[in-house]
Amino acid sequence: MSETLFSLFQMPFVQRMFLASVLASISCGIIGSFVVVKRIVFLSGGIAHTTFGGIGLAYYLQYAMGWIWLDPLIGALIFAVLTAFIMSTPFVKERLREDSTIGVLWVIGMALGVMFLNGVDRSVLIIQDPVSILFGNILLINLRDIMIMFTLVIVIVLLTFFLFKDLQILTFDEEFARITGINVSFLNLLMLLLVALTTVVLIKVVGVVLVIAMLTIPAAISGLFTHHLKHMMLLAVLIGVGTSVFGSILSLWFNLPPGSTIVLVMGLLFIIALILKPFVPSKEVSLVTST
Amino acid sequence: MVIEDITLKIRKGDFFGIIGPNGGGKSTLLKAILGLIPVTSGKISIFGRSVHDARRLIGYVPQYAEFDKRFPISVWDVVLMGRRSVRGIHPFYSTEDKQQAIKALQTVQMDGFKKRHISELSGGQRQRVFIARALVSHPKILLLDEPTASVDKEMQKTIYDFLSELNKTMTIVLVTHDIGVLSSYVTRVSCLNRFIFTHDDDRVISKEMLEAAYHCPVDLIAHGVPHRVLDEHEKRSGNGKTKGNKR
Repeated sequence: MSETLFSLFQMPFVQRMFLASVLASISCGIIGSFVVVKRIVFLSGGIAHTTFGGIGLAYYLQYAMGWIWLDPLIGALIFAVLTAFIMSTPFVKERLREDSTIGVLWVIGMALGVMFLNGVDRSVLIIQDPVSILFGNILLINLRDIMIMFTLVIVIVLLTFFLFKDLQILTFDEEFARITGINVSFLNLLMLLLVALTTVVLIKVVGVVLVIAMLTIPAAISGLFTHHLKHMMLLAVLIGVGTSVFGSILSLWFNLPPGSTIVLVMGLLFIIALILKPFVPSKEVSLVTST
Repeated sequence: MVIEDITLKIRKGDFFGIIGPNGGGKSTLLKAILGLIPVTSGKISIFGRSVHDARRLIGYVPQYAEFDKRFPISVWDVVLMGRRSVRGIHPFYSTEDKQQAIKALQTVQMDGFKKRHISELSGGQRQRVFIARALVSHPKILLLDEPTASVDKEMQKTIYDFLSELNKTMTIVLVTHDIGVLSSYVTRVSCLNRFIFTHDDDRVISKEMLEAAYHCPVDLIAHGVPHRVLDEHEKRSGNGKTKGNKR
């Protein structure tokens, strides 16, 4: 068994799978923690789903214009960032109810994706199976995907590192953030942009529809046992790596759909964590000694 | 909430109470002073400066009920937040910030609770932590919104005693709907219910003020004393410097 596992890890696609899991978990652990404590899960879900339109558009332009260089992930990135901007415009924020805006953008993004993909003649251009776009296939990740994910993760980590203090104040007490001189509307936009980037990192791993699982579940489990935002992030990253690697191996072993397997492993761990929570001493298990 | 036609002068060194019924615009007034909501007409000046320029001079203690108690944050991190206005966008807090945070925690006698999570505190302790967060940037004025709303009677007294002590070095303005708790602590009082009624020099809540503010018989509020004079208090040498002037 251990030997077969070892030989498995020598295969390039398994190595890529492992790398993708780590990259995805870093971004979802950090940004997912903000999403959970700031209660913008639904908003993040909206951003995630609109990326389907971007992916469809990229494929369509590859086919119709011959823009083969236009990676579907870049299309996803454009749509995610655009959605984040639309959500943050004063016009939308003041005139419309937030959840209505989310609902509208969500479905328009999805419908556009279906339209664009429908317009591609698949005998001319081979595209990724829409089901694996929606529900992810970590086993199909190529080196180019890894490069894009890596770049985005670097941006996410750096921005969060340098703005952590302000993001913490913003998520904890927006009114106080305003009083203390933080540009709240700009920082809120930046928060959504970070969610947008994270969404793109996660798409290849769990797919457009299941992105919300990776953004929410590891952070939610971690939040049950930690009392500091930084600790919450760190534990969420570890939970993300553990569950996504374990889920990928399971899917490989039993020939199951990878994205869904990962999500179900996370969901199961969440239920177990909820049951175990009362038995865990209320003092947090400290991962980092400093505050 | 609309509040209209208000003129309010708060002097340096005041312990100023703004009372009024729920929905009377007390929080609105505080938020206007903090620059969180725009004023459609008239102006607010704080030590002669605009609301925006004077932000750093004000420490604000919001209603404690407004916090998510599950938020993963320790007492220490909450207090450090107060240094943001001094520190600016810089990514880390300095040694100076940390020293000031310890000092502020000592002032509110919460320095033993540094590492506690905010959910592990009693209402009174949490309130003191938020006061420490306001104090850590060395404000000249402390604004408090219902500081004793969810605190038991005994802790109320402790907090007011503590605020009285602080009042020796800074101006304090608090709003509350509970006249009872103001008792002997405040030096001046206004009643706010969309319109404002202020007694300028003596510490008197007049029958007219209360009736106008609460639209109900005064006797119910003032415990049967129609013209209730707040307890004698050490006379202050308010030098008449204008802090707020809202019209």
